Amino acid sequence: MNRAHAALSAVFPIVLAIALSAVLFFVTGYDVGAVISGVIEGAVTGFGSFWQTLRWSMPLLLIAVGFLFCVRAGEFNIGGQGQMMMGGLGTIVVALLVPGPVCLVLPVAILAGMIFGGLWSFLPGVLKVKLGADEVIVTLMLNFIAVLFVSWITTGPLKDPAVRGETASTPTVDAALRLSSGDGMSVTLLVLIALAVAAAWLIAERTAFGLKLRYVGEAPEAARWQGMKADRLRLWAYVLAGAFAGLAGAFEVLGPNGRLVTGATPTIGFTAIVVTIVGLSRVPGIVLAALLFGGLQAAILFLPIVSDLPSSGLKILEGLIALLITAEFIRRRRGVG
Amino acid sequence: MEFLDQFTVTTLRGATPIVLAAVAGLFAIRAGIFHLGIEGLMLVGAFTAVAAGTASGSATVGMLTAILVCLLLSVLYWYLIDKLKADTVIAGLGLTALCVGGTAFAMQVLFDQRGQMASTVRLYRPITGQQEGALSFVSELTIITWVTPLLVVLAWIVLRRSRLGLQIAAVGDYPYGAEAVGVNQSRVRLYALLITGAGCAIAGTQLAIGDVAGFSENMTNGRGFFALAAMLFGGFSAVFTAFAGLFFGFADAFGIFMQINDRSGLPVQFVLLVPFILTILIVSISGYLRKKKSTR
Repeated sequence: MNRAHAALSAVFPIVLAIALSAVLFFVTGYDVGAVISGVIEGAVTGFGSFWQTLRWSMPLLLIAVGFLFCVRAGEFNIGGQGQMMMGGLGTIVVALLVPGPVCLVLPVAILAGMIFGGLWSFLPGVLKVKLGADEVIVTLMLNFIAVLFVSWITTGPLKDPAVRGETASTPTVDAALRLSSGDGMSVTLLVLIALAVAAAWLIAERTAFGLKLRYVGEAPEAARWQGMKADRLRLWAYVLAGAFAGLAGAFEVLGPNGRLVTGATPTIGFTAIVVTIVGLSRVPGIVLAALLFGGLQAAILFLPIVSDLPSSGLKILEGLIALLITAEFIRRRRGVG
Repeated sequence: MEFLDQFTVTTLRGATPIVLAAVAGLFAIRAGIFHLGIEGLMLVGAFTAVAAGTASGSATVGMLTAILVCLLLSVLYWYLIDKLKADTVIAGLGLTALCVGGTAFAMQVLFDQRGQMASTVRLYRPITGQQEGALSFVSELTIITWVTPLLVVLAWIVLRRSRLGLQIAAVGDYPYGAEAVGVNQSRVRLYALLITGAGCAIAGTQLAIGDVAGFSENMTNGRGFFALAAMLFGGFSAVFTAFAGLFFGFADAFGIFMQINDRSGLPVQFVLLVPFILTILIVSISGYLRKKKSTR
């Protein structure tokens, strides 16, 4: 597949989705120019806007680079949502319950998030690889189970007694453990994310493991004849995907959120899958795509300030991109990987 | 009403949309399409039933419009996955996302309402005389709940005994074989998706103007995905799928009653978890059996 064609196949659906949304907004009587300038202001040029874009790109980027490993191995692990929530759970348990100096508790808390996320992804991996259970269904179910489980934790064992009413949440973690303040990002968090993404790139593109993973995904029979342990490689793809999603959960808890909240980010796992595909399953592309969707999320939150367009209008745009992104508008074969 | 009556009503109310969407979804899944747009189609069905019902003053018009809109969206989905070779799962999730945003947007643009809107019409309830005593729950059931068992049987007949049903199964299981004997795969997939779309519209109608008389943003709240679980749980058979959907309604009702009469101390979430865990078990066991058979 040549690169120009690949790039075009990702860009065209996005342009089409934007055009369709613009037509919709125009027909329903909104000022399209104001919407566009509002989106740009909310995502890039406004005061603190780009910071917000980075804040919302963070979880998408981490889940998406994790999902990349499963894409490479030919596994469709759509459980990023649940893996992120379980990662957040692992982190909050350590952050709230384990005493000790910050320099020790903080790494352990982050690691706990990665382990919880990794284990939550290992489960569907085993069921798929060893038993042949369809991973799309199992990971979808595990998302619901994670939501219910976290909802129990935040209303039961780790409930914040100070919070009353509908939203259930745990107490806030100690300020010393926080990687950023409530408004979103910090330089520390950015550096950590950059390191994580660089690690993902290294593993995927510059190691024998990454190469074998692609081999297993694209030519499973050939890989078997080469004597590769395909099952074990696939399992590692699941674990890595879960660990990166868990890292996203850990950073949410130690960063912007500061606590574990039930249902804080309902569809972020699905958006992350779209991010991987828009990014053409390459790390640099995923970074760009995560910024695009993170910017859109920042704009969704900002737009009500400057335009009367309902924020659901931009959710239509997001849905349209997901709906159209894998369609072959330009004749040529292309797969998810 | 007595406890048992209330419990039965809650179970049937909770189950009806899931059963309808699940049995409708069987047509797609048997044609080989893992349709994650079901959730979105149900939501659109719910909104359209309220919108068109309120505008026309007739619940029937509301339901028919809902079916029409869901059929159109199903054609769009079919065009994308069949003609433009879009990925079924991703386009399905995209369809659902589009429907979540689209219904909220339409509610605000057309009715100037945010978050939720009330419906002026409700579905017809065939039996209303029985207000007291045993079996008083029957007066609470809508026409759609009464018709659902018939639709399940009809779905079973079409899937198992009709020409279309066999063609759908052939396209899903042996696409090249189906093509070889002259079945137009593309057209069969379209028909299957249209049936699924219409069923989701009816499920959404029941949800919005059956029990609560109104629409609220994202009111399906995962029911479309529960329907997918029910299909797998029911082993892709219409009758077993319907019972699986009923079980989801039962778990839901059980959870609600536990929240109200909480004495045992068992967290309600643990009850709601059960159907999902059972689905994973069933998928794993059936996957294992299939694997064992194919390697033998």
